[in-house]
Amino acid sequence: MTDKKTSRLLTSPYIAWAVIFILVPLAMLFYYGLTDVNGGLTLDNIRAIAEPVHLRALLLAVVLSVVSTIICFLLAYPLGMILAKHKLSSQGLITTLFILPMWMNFLLRTLAWMTLLENRGVINGILDFLHLPEINIINTPGAIVLGMVYNFLPFMILPIYNSLSSIDDNVINAARDLGADAWQTFFKITLPLSVPGIISGVTMVFIPALTTFAISTMLGGSKILLIGNVIEQEFTLTYDWNLGAGLSIVLMVFIVVNMVISAMSEGDDSSERRNVKRFFSHTSGSDAGSGKDER
Amino acid sequence: MRSKIEKIYMGIIFVFMYAPILTLIILSFNTSKSRARWGGFTFQWYINLVNDNSVLNAMANTLIIAMVSTVFATVIGTLTCVGLMGLRRRSRTVIMGITNIPMINADIVTGISLMLLFKVLRFETGFITVLLAHITFNIPYVMLSVMPRMKTINPNTYEAALDLGAEPFYAFRKSVLPDLMPSIIAGALMAFTMSIDDFIITYFTKGSGFDTISTKIYNEVKRGIQPEIYALSSIIFIAVLVLLFASARMRQRQAAQRKDVALYKVEKRISKGKAAVIAVASLGVILLAMYFGGVFTRKNNQLFVYNAGEYIDPEVIEMFEAETGIEVVYDEFETLEIMYAKMVQNDGAYDVICPSDYMIEKMMNAGMLRELDLNMIPNRKYIGKQYMESARSFDPNNSYSVPYCWGTVGILYNKNMVKEPVTSWDILWDEKYSGEILMQDSIRDAFMVALARNGYSINTKDPAELEVAAEDLVKQKPLVQAYVIDQARDKMIGGEAALAVIYSGEVIYTQRENPDLAYSIPDEGSNVWIDAWVVTRKARNPEAAMKWINFLCRPDIALMNFDFITYSTPNEAAREMIEEEDIRNSEVAFPDESILDRCETYFYLGEDGDALYNEMWKKVKSGK
Repeated sequence: MTDKKTSRLLTSPYIAWAVIFILVPLAMLFYYGLTDVNGGLTLDNIRAIAEPVHLRALLLAVVLSVVSTIICFLLAYPLGMILAKHKLSSQGLITTLFILPMWMNFLLRTLAWMTLLENRGVINGILDFLHLPEINIINTPGAIVLGMVYNFLPFMILPIYNSLSSIDDNVINAARDLGADAWQTFFKITLPLSVPGIISGVTMVFIPALTTFAISTMLGGSKILLIGNVIEQEFTLTYDWNLGAGLSIVLMVFIVVNMVISAMSEGDDSSERRNVKRFFSHTSGSDAGSGKDER
Repeated sequence: MRSKIEKIYMGIIFVFMYAPILTLIILSFNTSKSRARWGGFTFQWYINLVNDNSVLNAMANTLIIAMVSTVFATVIGTLTCVGLMGLRRRSRTVIMGITNIPMINADIVTGISLMLLFKVLRFETGFITVLLAHITFNIPYVMLSVMPRMKTINPNTYEAALDLGAEPFYAFRKSVLPDLMPSIIAGALMAFTMSIDDFIITYFTKGSGFDTISTKIYNEVKRGIQPEIYALSSIIFIAVLVLLFASARMRQRQAAQRKDVALYKVEKRISKGKAAVIAVASLGVILLAMYFGGVFTRKNNQLFVYNAGEYIDPEVIEMFEAETGIEVVYDEFETLEIMYAKMVQNDGAYDVICPSDYMIEKMMNAGMLRELDLNMIPNRKYIGKQYMESARSFDPNNSYSVPYCWGTVGILYNKNMVKEPVTSWDILWDEKYSGEILMQDSIRDAFMVALARNGYSINTKDPAELEVAAEDLVKQKPLVQAYVIDQARDKMIGGEAALAVIYSGEVIYTQRENPDLAYSIPDEGSNVWIDAWVVTRKARNPEAAMKWINFLCRPDIALMNFDFITYSTPNEAAREMIEEEDIRNSEVAFPDESILDRCETYFYLGEDGDALYNEMWKKVKSGK
């Protein structure tokens, strides 16, 4: 859309910024991760991930964060559809209401969950009053998953809602006119068109969930050690920056995986989907689109 | 029918999102400082808030950082997204990959790596470094919000506009920007929210004497939150809610006007006026925040104090400032290890610190401390001889430290839940109390319990003995409800657990709140600890630091502190002035010789010893 020169001009400030504040610090991290206390080159800090203590923490973190991501997706997608469907003037309001809880600090909200979930906490108090059996999930992996879902759900809602609301109604109507039923329309049109949003959402939930340590500390009673806790302790407690950096480098494998996935989805972009869009944009496309947003 | 299901679904998610917030709001009216107990309705915390400068300060800092970083991030992020569309796919993928890094990385890694950068660049950590860090992690949120939208935008309209003779910027503003606007706003909102919500990155880049609301909260979460924070959160929340409804109202009115074509121009002017209002309001908030916030740090005649959480009567700080004219910048640490990590990062960040015995020894060995100028601390004479003597175990000449508080480690138990006498650490391994036991989440204290139980020295460096202790702790783990530090206090008051390993200083306070609690130091022996004030070697204001220590040794001041924090004071003159006799002669606060004889202090174990304990501790924590 923009020519090369303008593009370079527009992107260069950010590229400079990214180099100084993302890449250089990262290089320092690699320096720490690949050296020992005396500055000698070593791979021990990376290999340390194979130690049972670290491996268990990593696996548990992966399991819990995958479960949380799936739950977030299952909760957020229908919500995104509902929000995107009602293109009322209050849609911004409703969306914001789902983001609003984040304006209370996340440590505070997690603290509130402790109060709610405790064995003699608010929820059990209510259950007791109703003569229902009590729940004891505080300090279990279940509580951690709950905390993750609660804290990261907005990260899933927002991108999914964004990409769903940018789907042109005419595409959907056309599919229906051409005889597709509701399910076919959903699986052939809506879902594929919302893939960029889903990928954003999954990234935004999975990674913070994978690396969290505050949630597992507070809702897991410090009994459950995730990889985030291990790294945090290397930096703040045992003061082994080299090992902490080494383990962080291992975590970065997930970045690479993520990069590959988003690159793949971009490849997707060029195929069928874009042709569909091209076709419809000629008939009614973006004018209606831009008008819609001003409302 | 269908819309009903939709409404119910939205309702359920709504409740899920807002139940904790409602809880916080209710807690802000709770008379009791404990989360677990309702003590009656009060506005006290809201009233206190007005006078609590440190909280207001932190709030102002949070707002200014969030606003400024959001503006920067939104502009840079949006421009970059637009620019990216004109680049080849490969470079686009690379740049988006780099953008993903701060989002994907553990916050702590981003925080630490930035901290390393600032250290190398010799930036003084504080407002600017936090701002730079926030801009860095905010840009990706804007880009990840704008980019998916950017990709779905049809270039034909823009090209058509160009073909029809529009200037590129005009064409962009008219054809692309309106399409992008919802996602830009969403991204900016996200960035603002993330900035307000961030804790870890701020924590590692903030330096001394600068706090945002989240680092402030973190300092207090484990220690027991001041209810003023609940009050503040409630106010923020209500304010945002009101703003939101107001703007929705405005939008609705505009939408109604829009139907009238003749009013089109008026409406445009309104939106311009609105923009001006927002701009002025933002500017106002920024100016206010700069006035209240610690944006300009490090003036002359300041004293940087680093103490454990809730370990002083705040009035004492004000009195010191009034009497000496020295401005105190007061920071709190959560654990000694975190304090040490901070000191290694910047050993001149604080002038005067209050660590415990073994940590003082460690800091002395690392050459972090400065010898005290005893001529400036005449009030040291009020400290009891026996305490000075004990302090020699870590400070052989009493030349680096002056004792501040001391105490023992023991078992706090609920008499309603534990009917038998508590005389041995073994009770913490009794399956009867499964799920009712709180252990200390600190290496030395947890191992102390297991070592003492087996009759070993609590300062052992023998791997075999430690192995036995570690195995015991792993065996105990299924019975343990949680590993906690200061939350033990709240949980015991609330009746959440039957038994807790706790510092003696918490006992008087918890018993006041819940009379069913009792304290015991097991027969096998325990730890007796001393916290003492030390002055850092790189202190920028050592004279003020000496004055500070001298001030705290004054009997009336020591008494004020004792009344407030209820940790045993080594100040003999202060102890004599305690009015309540049962507290002055309390077995818990001032145990007699026979009890102290079976208690040991911790020694610094050397780097090898520390490493050994750390490794064992990790095994315990990740074990079944």
